[in-house]
Amino acid sequence: MGTPASTAGLRIKEKSRRKKSSANSFALIFILPSLVLYTLFVIVPTLGSVYLSFTSWDGISEDIRFIGLANFAEIWQSPRVHNALKNTLILTVSLVLLENVAAIAMALMVDRVRWFKNLFRSLFYFPTLLSGVVMGFVWTMILNYNFGVFNQILNAVGLGSWALDWLGNPDYAMVSIILSTVWKGAGYYMIIYLAGLQGIPTELSEAASIDGANSRQQFRFITFPLLAGSLTVCMVLSTISALKIFDQIAVMTDGGPGFATETLTYIIYKVGFGELRQGFGTALALVLFVLILIVTVIQVQVLRKREVQH
Amino acid sequence: MIGRTAKGWFAVTLAASLVLSACGSGSGDVQTTSGAAADGGGDKVSFTIGYASGDPAARKAISDTVERFMAANPNIEIKDISDNSASSYLDWLKTKDAVGEFPDLVEMRDTEVFADAGKIVELPSDLVELFDSPPEVDGKVWNAPLALNVPQGIIYSKKAYADAGITDLPQTYDEFLEIQEKLKASGISPLVVGGKDIFHMGFWVNKFLIDDVYAKDPDWNSKKTAQEAAFADENVVQAMTDFKFLFQNYVDKGWLSTPDNQTASVLVSGKAAQLFSGTWMFSQIEEADPSFEYGFYAVPDREGHVNVIGLPSPAGWTLSAEAAKDPDKTEAIESFIRYFFEPEQYSLYLASLNGIPSTKEKVEYEASPAMQSALDLMNDPEVTKSLAINNWWGENLIPPQFRNWFYKKLQEMVVSDGDVSDYMKQIDTEYDNQVKTNAM
Repeated sequence: MGTPASTAGLRIKEKSRRKKSSANSFALIFILPSLVLYTLFVIVPTLGSVYLSFTSWDGISEDIRFIGLANFAEIWQSPRVHNALKNTLILTVSLVLLENVAAIAMALMVDRVRWFKNLFRSLFYFPTLLSGVVMGFVWTMILNYNFGVFNQILNAVGLGSWALDWLGNPDYAMVSIILSTVWKGAGYYMIIYLAGLQGIPTELSEAASIDGANSRQQFRFITFPLLAGSLTVCMVLSTISALKIFDQIAVMTDGGPGFATETLTYIIYKVGFGELRQGFGTALALVLFVLILIVTVIQVQVLRKREVQH
Repeated sequence: MIGRTAKGWFAVTLAASLVLSACGSGSGDVQTTSGAAADGGGDKVSFTIGYASGDPAARKAISDTVERFMAANPNIEIKDISDNSASSYLDWLKTKDAVGEFPDLVEMRDTEVFADAGKIVELPSDLVELFDSPPEVDGKVWNAPLALNVPQGIIYSKKAYADAGITDLPQTYDEFLEIQEKLKASGISPLVVGGKDIFHMGFWVNKFLIDDVYAKDPDWNSKKTAQEAAFADENVVQAMTDFKFLFQNYVDKGWLSTPDNQTASVLVSGKAAQLFSGTWMFSQIEEADPSFEYGFYAVPDREGHVNVIGLPSPAGWTLSAEAAKDPDKTEAIESFIRYFFEPEQYSLYLASLNGIPSTKEKVEYEASPAMQSALDLMNDPEVTKSLAINNWWGENLIPPQFRNWFYKKLQEMVVSDGDVSDYMKQIDTEYDNQVKTNAM
């Protein structure tokens, strides 16, 4: 038997639990239709396709032969897959860093600028409205060796010797893809950082200012730590997006020159569709799934630890 | 915290599922998008058509023929789903199959692969009679050849040749290289290559392979598959050494990012003096600049012999197995094929891309001087006719995934200045692995 005080406490807890449970049930009603559709049309086919990764199916014939772990053994040994993994990691690390740095810089600028705030916000956000394919075509035209605007400008200002085959040179093709993707993607993350910036209480900066902190110190010790929530979201989203990059590669370089820009998602498409190896492509997709899962979980765990509540 | 973690996992699963589903959701089933439908006046039959539409001239010629056919046959509707680029027709066709949109009537290039998969059916015997001994796969005719294979050669700017003081066409490959040196010295880029579309780069690869390998041994592919021949053999190494030397010294610097459809513009703009391609480029060049003066010749080998692509290969209009199940659709497709190859229709198609007719019935159109040079090559018994590495069939069929990989490996060899023998050994290993994989 408990005391009257502890009984009252239990009653309050029970009431609170019932209220929470009712709210959860109510939320589930709204989620259920989407969940059912998503399960039926995405999760179930996806799990169903896992079987294909253990076959030598070419994608067009009725002949689907079970070959056990042979596809995974080939992935483990294939220099082409290793190269694609290396390219994917280079691309991912570069994109995540550059996109987030650019996005924070743009968000700070838009947050602090006095004039044309909306204009800058629209200008920075505009590239994200383009599809990866359209953006790829635009940059392919700009960077074209013979007729591209970039080389034409270099020629016009007397720097013709700097004109290069930006997408055909293995040393520059990856850089070109990274920079054009940052141009397209940073505006999206800017919006998230901007929301984070606008949620930081102004009195913190004012107090720091009174204490004599300059703007760099304010950013380092106040703004950046309080942006940790936005940083977690943006880092996770940009990592997933970079690991899955496809459109730009397909349009701008076709994975070339040679295999210089071939990534995991691109190789999945090329072997699955162009090279009639659907089974191997599915096995690669499964590997990419696991890679994304591991990277994202680690990233979320690490970044969440440094989040600050205010 | 638990709630947050659960949300995180859900987001991860969602993102990754999207990646997986992109590859894994294809099924082997074919579902045609067309079908017979009744209109007020009677049964209207509808079928889809798919062909390689990267060449604008060929695309226009076929779509014009389709329009004229539908005007003459109002009860038949043809849905043109050929929205592919020049980069890789097989990718497009396979993707269409994966989403259940395999064309009812398809321009087939990888006949043996799709025949083995049961995706296509034999050409009806009454249509086979339209053609002069069309190629057979497994003793069966599957395709109505759109045209015969045409020779590939150098399409050159007469002005650039005159400016460089070149008066005679080369009689040997060494003389051809001397011409490249003269062009380079005159300040113009000697050769434009549309290397972004790897098939275009493949024209040169096959020129050297034909000279050093296929002209002497048309069954080399089958020997390679049986491991009785190798890419690391002296003749193939020589072919690829010539290829590498040419590309490193005389090809336009931007070749790796130049698409096939830009090569005509590079040529007529005077940025390059020559283009190595087939006769279908003549109309593109004339369209880009009607006043541009050009000539055409085949590049001889070191002994002065001329070897060109020119053997027939199993490719052309083909009925899908799914469409063949519907008698009305089959009849409509057959009537379109007959219409397409009627001399008055077919001549328009051939003229638009400077093709060589495949039909028994005589078809005539006005040939340009450059086209006449190509026809002379085809009629010259001294000229060896051959095929590209991926156009052989039967025992000589290479693994379907090999060609693109091979061409990309060669790109890598050129840009990284790789050792040809080392690369050929790597290519041997990959070829053998692919043969082994396909046998599983």
